[in-house]
Amino acid sequence: MSLASASRHRERTAPPLDGVRVLDFTHIVAGPFCTRILADLGAEVLHVETRSRTEGMGVHAGRQERRDARVHRNKKSITLNLKHERGQAIAARLASVADVLVENFSSGVMRRLHLDYESLRPSNPSLIYVSMSGFGHTGPRRDWTSMNMNLQGYSGLMLVTGSEGDPPTSVSNSWNDFIGGLHASFGILQVLMERQANGSGMYLDLSQAECSISTLGPLVLCGAANGENAPRLGNRSTSAAPQGCYPCAGGDEWCVISVQTNEQWTALCQLIGASEFGRDPRFASFTGRLRYHDEIDQKIRSWAVDLPKQEVEARLTAAGIPGERVRHADEVVESDDAGLGFHPLRAPGFEKPDLTALLPFTLSVSQRVPPISPATTGQHTHEALSDWLGLTADAIDDLERAGALV
Amino acid sequence: MARILDLAPHSAIYAGRLLAEAGHDVVRVEPPGGDAIRRLPPYLGGQPNIELGAYHQFFNAGKRSFTLDAASSEGLAVFRRLAVTADAIIGPLPPALTPDTLHAEQPHLVIAVLINDDIEEICRYARSGMMALTGQPGRVPMLMGGHVLYAATGLWVGVAMASALLTQQLRGVGQILTVDVQQCIEVFNEQAMSTYATTGRRADRRGHRGAITPVSGAFQASDGWWMLSVPNTAERWYRFLEWVQDPVLAANPSYAQEDGREAAKDVILDRIEKWSMSLKMREAVETAQSQGITSTPVQTPLDLVNDPQLTHRGFLQDVAIPNVGTVAAPAGAIASLLGRPASRAPLLGEHTTALLAELGYDGPERLALFERAVV
Repeated sequence: MSLASASRHRERTAPPLDGVRVLDFTHIVAGPFCTRILADLGAEVLHVETRSRTEGMGVHAGRQERRDARVHRNKKSITLNLKHERGQAIAARLASVADVLVENFSSGVMRRLHLDYESLRPSNPSLIYVSMSGFGHTGPRRDWTSMNMNLQGYSGLMLVTGSEGDPPTSVSNSWNDFIGGLHASFGILQVLMERQANGSGMYLDLSQAECSISTLGPLVLCGAANGENAPRLGNRSTSAAPQGCYPCAGGDEWCVISVQTNEQWTALCQLIGASEFGRDPRFASFTGRLRYHDEIDQKIRSWAVDLPKQEVEARLTAAGIPGERVRHADEVVESDDAGLGFHPLRAPGFEKPDLTALLPFTLSVSQRVPPISPATTGQHTHEALSDWLGLTADAIDDLERAGALV
Repeated sequence: MARILDLAPHSAIYAGRLLAEAGHDVVRVEPPGGDAIRRLPPYLGGQPNIELGAYHQFFNAGKRSFTLDAASSEGLAVFRRLAVTADAIIGPLPPALTPDTLHAEQPHLVIAVLINDDIEEICRYARSGMMALTGQPGRVPMLMGGHVLYAATGLWVGVAMASALLTQQLRGVGQILTVDVQQCIEVFNEQAMSTYATTGRRADRRGHRGAITPVSGAFQASDGWWMLSVPNTAERWYRFLEWVQDPVLAANPSYAQEDGREAAKDVILDRIEKWSMSLKMREAVETAQSQGITSTPVQTPLDLVNDPQLTHRGFLQDVAIPNVGTVAAPAGAIASLLGRPASRAPLLGEHTTALLAELGYDGPERLALFERAVV
């Protein structure tokens, strides 16, 4: 194979975003999750950080800095003092050779730093500039601050989840941030396709609230048409009965069951020693079981409550009835599932390896990017300035002495 | 703009919608009796109607509908002709066709295959570890409502498709894309898994109280629920105290420190709950935001229909839906982002004739296909 065709071959199998430069001004969760997806797809993500202000999580005096894999893996790190005129200028120059810029600061921050889209566009008309804010940068709520849980509440998720009369029910993790980050990634990939055809960049003003509201789109549309909300179903289903979550032996141990067919219902009745239920004509059909769901739940509960959840799951599976134990994180970590999508990764400042998730999909031709341990803060400052801007060692030293690279 | 054939099950159907929002030609290939998702309630108008299922109306908006009995040999032949005109397919493929066979015949195609999808939604959620984090503390774990899990897994499929379409465009490379639907949800549980792996600690579900910022949660006001997150700095805590004017909170010096607030968070939140009962929700939210405290109303889907921010941003657009009328429809995050209009879902088989004509089937041939229930 000649060199030329070898390089075409490498190109052909390269990851989707090979050669794409992302200048990353994001922080906290939603933004970094988006740029991490881009890094996992092969982009060169340069994370702009600073030592002139601690971000809360990273820097602790007297201890090795903790760099968590969730935010920092597969990204390069440059430190720039954006309050310094020369630091700002370097940031603008990096943007002029970037393909994508992502930021999630509050309204006005990037403009004050002369790093807003209007400032950067003249020197890089093909730049794709993504702002990820809670509510978007236009509208009566453009200046509202937001956090994950607030947007879970705002989007409707917390009053759609749970049973009628329950308090608002959240997901106790950064759920909303992930949904925003994923939509942002999709948008960026789409605009990269469009740019390939027409050469121009674009400003993307992404509202994280709109992202999560979109995941509830069906119920918003239904509310708009019907003028009322659909009922809160809890763990019940509109097509399977019984369906629910039942306490098992021990504290906070549960199992879910979802009976899809009449055959599975008969099998369940036999399994739980309730054959009289299996003969009861009230429960013979799905609609009947839905009507008498409370009574059926009581029966299932009295069976499951004294059994370990692993036992409940095993018996259900053996009888061909859909059911799973409700796993805690430790059980997922220790299960086979973990090995498929999760990888241990050494992270600076952590004694034990951090566990990190990879993309949940593979491509048959495009190579997969392996997980790379988080860089330390500013680890790639010199490399990036040389690589992206062609600065000499002297020029970089000069910037350092001026305090522009902290 | 790519042509994408969409045969996705519930867990991937949002991907086609995202691609339609972005302006691609997404053809929903449905069995002649209609997509299963058309029968998922609730219904616009409140009565079962194969055109008006809310999940069909939203997830299939912007797509075309081509009805085909792809399991029959004649139907498979039609599908093959359609596939020749496509750039991508979201599977599963019709029974007699494998991804490898189709890819060998048409190497330019992107074909998405789903694995680990044969599990009920609630079972998927329980298995992932996420269900243990959803629900009120000490009470039953909860499935996320509104089939949000379908949207979440579909979102991953969308991102995967977009990356493969980009590669196809840049390098002329088709490929098979394999999405592990169970992993799509487990990935979201990374924080709890990371915490367990590095510290041995198990995360809890906190329900209407915050999981990360100590002084955060949903609180009941006199006229509804609202959310509050007090940024974890001394300055914001003092400003918050000035607003609340609670002598118990003000009297405890340990609360001035981050770790003091963390240690006493449930006690603090109990006090805020009492104070909140006499407030009016929207006023409380406005006051908090004006003080740099993150705050929002807790809304229902119906509340969102009248949301001033969504209205201003054009996220809600009037769409004419047959048999319903004009409805304020959510345009979708991607359409909103790219400045594209909102759409409605197709009627069953609305585009079958046009597509058959495009594929070169003349009038008599089309008639024969209809009469033989192939389309």
